[in-house]
Amino acid sequence: MFRYQSLEDCPLDEDEDAFQTLGEEDEDIDQFNDDTFGAGAIDDDWQEAHERLAELEDKPATARELEDGAVSDEMELLGHHEENLAERLSKLVIENELEDPAIMQAVQTQPPMQPGGLNSSIWDGSAVLRRFRGPLLTQNSSLLGHPFPPSVTPVFTHLQRAQLLGGAQAGRMSPSQFARVSGLVCSPLTSMNPKLLQGRVGQMMPPASRFRAFFGAPPPPAPPPSQQQHPLCPGSHLQNLRPHPQVFRPDTTHLHPQHRRLLHQRQQQNRTQHRSLNGSAGDRAGHRSSHHEQLRKDPYANLMLQREKDWVSKIQMMQLQSTDPYLDDFYYQNYFQKLEKVSAAEEMHGDGPKKERTKLITPQVAKLEHAYKPVQFEGSLGKLTVSSVNNPRKMIDAVVTSRSEDDETKEKQVRDKRRQTLVTIEKTYSLLLDVEDYERRYLLSLEGERPALMEERKQKICDMYDNLRGKTPGQERPSDDHFVQIMCIRKGKRMVARILPFLSTEQAADILMATARNLPFLIKKDAQDEVLLCLLRPFSLVLYHLPSGTVTSLLQQLANLPQSATVPAPANLHLAAVLQNKFGLSLLYLVLSRGEELQNSSAAVELMQDNQWTELMSMATRELLRIPEAALAKPVSTPSNLLSLFSRYVDQQKLNVLETKLQLVQGIR
Amino acid sequence: MNYMPGTASLIQDIDKKHLVLLRDGRTLIGYLRSIDQFANLVLHQTVERIHVGKKYGDIPRGIFVVRGENVVLLGEIDLEKESDTPLQQVSIEEILEEQRVEQQAKQESEKLKVQALKERGLSIPRADTLDEY
Repeated sequence: MFRYQSLEDCPLDEDEDAFQTLGEEDEDIDQFNDDTFGAGAIDDDWQEAHERLAELEDKPATARELEDGAVSDEMELLGHHEENLAERLSKLVIENELEDPAIMQAVQTQPPMQPGGLNSSIWDGSAVLRRFRGPLLTQNSSLLGHPFPPSVTPVFTHLQRAQLLGGAQAGRMSPSQFARVSGLVCSPLTSMNPKLLQGRVGQMMPPASRFRAFFGAPPPPAPPPSQQQHPLCPGSHLQNLRPHPQVFRPDTTHLHPQHRRLLHQRQQQNRTQHRSLNGSAGDRAGHRSSHHEQLRKDPYANLMLQREKDWVSKIQMMQLQSTDPYLDDFYYQNYFQKLEKVSAAEEMHGDGPKKERTKLITPQVAKLEHAYKPVQFEGSLGKLTVSSVNNPRKMIDAVVTSRSEDDETKEKQVRDKRRQTLVTIEKTYSLLLDVEDYERRYLLSLEGERPALMEERKQKICDMYDNLRGKTPGQERPSDDHFVQIMCIRKGKRMVARILPFLSTEQAADILMATARNLPFLIKKDAQDEVLLCLLRPFSLVLYHLPSGTVTSLLQQLANLPQSATVPAPANLHLAAVLQNKFGLSLLYLVLSRGEELQNSSAAVELMQDNQWTELMSMATRELLRIPEAALAKPVSTPSNLLSLFSRYVDQQKLNVLETKLQLVQGIR
Repeated sequence: MNYMPGTASLIQDIDKKHLVLLRDGRTLIGYLRSIDQFANLVLHQTVERIHVGKKYGDIPRGIFVVRGENVVLLGEIDLEKESDTPLQQVSIEEILEEQRVEQQAKQESEKLKVQALKERGLSIPRADTLDEY
């Protein structure tokens, strides 16, 4: 429990016990009281007292004394209960303000206490406002709201107060502080006209923002109009009564000139704001009235000033500035591009009113090349290392030691190989993303740049292909190993699917061949990923560009037959594996279907006469027949011309079997 | 002032009643009075709402200043629909009691689980004891 100042009235009967326990401290209090309020108080010139306060470094002792005196005041304040708070505070204000060094300006007013005076809400607010230490004030406001036992005595240290004062004078204050202070600045008008204001509304120039409490202090049931005005209170009230030309007030002379100027600017703006608001008060039109109603019902509305909202908004806008919006905010850009395309399409159809989609226009900041130069000191011997964000200091001298081949174990080699493959995939993927982006860049670029862009693109595509197949010094690419490694990794498969459209026909065919050659292995490896199917679509696209010879070889690869020899094996394991896999079977169907198409086209008559093709076909059909239906995979799609294809090579009986087995006839499905 | 289209900002939410969910699981309901660029919030007439099952209890807390990084989500409360809830409001003591009971039950079941796993020689590392790397 907090001590209670031994003034006239002591309504806190219930707390007597608590007070008695603090008996031993009473002497101290009394002493302080005396010094500050009673006989011991020196009738200081407030200005001097303030100067002293401002020069805390020079005279720490004085400051501490003052502080201590003020501290006890604070504690008394905190000890009050809400019913009597206003009364007691008002009494305190009257008696002590003159001597209180924390107050910038104290002017004697004639009637020391008129609680119901001009504007009770101002009065109450000001009473709370007397001391301006931030935490104290907030606590006070909450006290008025609901009893809130403060747990900590808010005492600014020596240093803090010095800082605050220094900060204010240097004009470095946040916008909220400005806003508060502007409210305060309005009120020094009252110093010119003491009759207007009994309370010390805002006469203190606070070193820091303290006015949260002022706005927040809920006046005990006050009539609505004053409540509404309350947040705007000092300014509007005073401006209405006495509009004042802009003049540097004498009591602001201790402020830094820049600060002063800023204050006056704010003041002006607030004035215009308040005027407009008051002017419209009489005009009850539409939404305005509801807005006012809202404000009336909510006395705490607009605690956050428009200025502050703008400030936050400005910061948010600044965060959106970017040198390359496509890079920084890809999804946003794409989304709006899509929307625009849609609306452009709609416009083409000559629709009615086009929906206006307001798009946020962010300023495009030019990319500035910053050549970072480390800090150099004049006249210093050698180069001093100054570590910063751009130039972090090297903490550890980590040296990369490459291992010799002999030391590596088998597992390490395998692991390294896999890592190599992963790195290759990543590099190729970057190339792929670049290549995919070229279309957009093309549109944005100038005419002269376009050939260069095309060249770049071509080069990148070649690089991609090289990466895929593995750069071998020799002419031939005998080893599929590199490619197969890539294909064993899920990301690699997806990447190949994306790359295929960019490759030339030969290159694409090469990839297809390699895939077909190693298909069983890939199938086995894909068991977990099941990503091979993504390759079907690009493969089919490639297929439709392939000449017949290539198709034949492709089928050969699928069936895993060497070029010349025909192997009358009882079972073709390669092909069997292919057939049992969804992807494999689908691919086979695609190849067969393409072959059939080629046959039907006039230019490919030789296909029929091609022995290889016939052999392959018979092999394929044999295998298809041999495999039990249960083991057969379900293909993605069954091309329609397979039936006619098979009819060429097998007799009717077998054809029927094939039909049912493969469900070639549409009706069965 | 018309604020930025196509963006999300709390400025339009000021002076409205909000429900704020914090990272530690608390639910605060209050009038949003002030924000800043970090989405630090100043909540006025805040009430901490504790939910247990179908019951809830409100503890009045006054003014809250919430550091932005601790907010999971927040949303405006429609004042008309606010009372339209199947939940039942109870007193603070009751809800705290319910909460305590619920916590206890959870702890016991957790203990049993850990015990069972231990018997089988397994352990689930708790998130706070996991190493960072």
